[in-house]
Amino acid sequence: MSIRSVLQIPASVLVSPAVPVGRVDDAARALAQDLLDTMAASPACVGLAAPQIGVGLRAFAVDVTGHRKARSCHGAFVLFDPTVVVEGPAEVAREGCMSVPDLTGEVARATQLTVSGIGPDGESCSLRVDAFEARAVLHELDHLDGLVFLDRVAGPHVLFPRKVYR
Amino acid sequence: MRRPWEPGGIADLGGRDLRTKLVAWSAVSRYSLSAVGRDRPGIVAAVTGALAGHGCNLQDSTMATLQGQFAMVLIVSAPDDVDSAAIEADLDPVAQRLELVIALRALHEDGAPSSSALGGALDPGASRTAWMIAVHGADRPGIVHAITAALADAGGNIVDLATHLVGPPSDPVYTLAIRATLPRGSTSRSLDPLLQAAEAFGVHCTVHPDDADVL
Repeated sequence: MSIRSVLQIPASVLVSPAVPVGRVDDAARALAQDLLDTMAASPACVGLAAPQIGVGLRAFAVDVTGHRKARSCHGAFVLFDPTVVVEGPAEVAREGCMSVPDLTGEVARATQLTVSGIGPDGESCSLRVDAFEARAVLHELDHLDGLVFLDRVAGPHVLFPRKVYR
Repeated sequence: MRRPWEPGGIADLGGRDLRTKLVAWSAVSRYSLSAVGRDRPGIVAAVTGALAGHGCNLQDSTMATLQGQFAMVLIVSAPDDVDSAAIEADLDPVAQRLELVIALRALHEDGAPSSSALGGALDPGASRTAWMIAVHGADRPGIVHAITAALADAGGNIVDLATHLVGPPSDPVYTLAIRATLPRGSTSRSLDPLLQAAEAFGVHCTVHPDDADVL
């Protein structure tokens, strides 16, 4: 287990589609642990995708525990080769990303969905998620397709510098 | 440092002692007004005060601050009998006191400046679709030109655009977001030249329809 550096754009791994993990082996389990460790060590981080730590594989971790916008909460989990079935309408809300410095933006995301994938134990699993957990899942899923929230932003003037007004 | 209205300053109007300029006053009742200058409290209040004193009405406006520079653009309607020279006279001291460059232009009904002989305006009756374009990558001069030139070639018309330079100064990242309209029937393939332009610059570009959900 280790805490990995989080890459920022324009790193090429962040704008390239990731490839499937396939079989869950020791390397995949180590990746899962690194995602969880790095997420836990990063303040206010509720999700992390493998490309963000320089690994072009379809894997992500999410943990919205204790977040005020969360309704469903499955704790900290990692999924390999995830797929999503959207089941509810979209809402616009503000997002930031450790891989996009200095900016936040408003993005429309579905608020109810089922995400399926393979857990670190090698077993298939499906989770019904909503509200903020759904947003986190879709944000991480985008990373696996080489997209960041800048590619989803709802308009030019709903991108905001992270700054302190004086 | 040379002030905007001093000889050679950006508001130098060729020897005329003016800090506001008015293009082709005639029997029109709509104007565009732009004002730019170092940000400070009171700019909006002062400019709109000069307008309100003449019964002008703000029809549309947008304002922004960019790295400490404040910019505003207003569309103003005025009573037909307004003394336009008097508005100008009241804007002049505002421009001088707040070190603003103010430009005021009379507009035709179609939005063109009264003095315009330029064609190529969009046909207001033509049906167009909205698209969002996102570009980001390592900062390089010419990104905006390359993308917007490809967009113009595709028949795109920009209705909103914003750019940000973010990240560490040693490794800055440029972001560009555009909302544009395209002739109806356009597809994402119509915007392929933008992706090619982005690739040539080594930056990432995505496009998608800007569908508004009506609820």
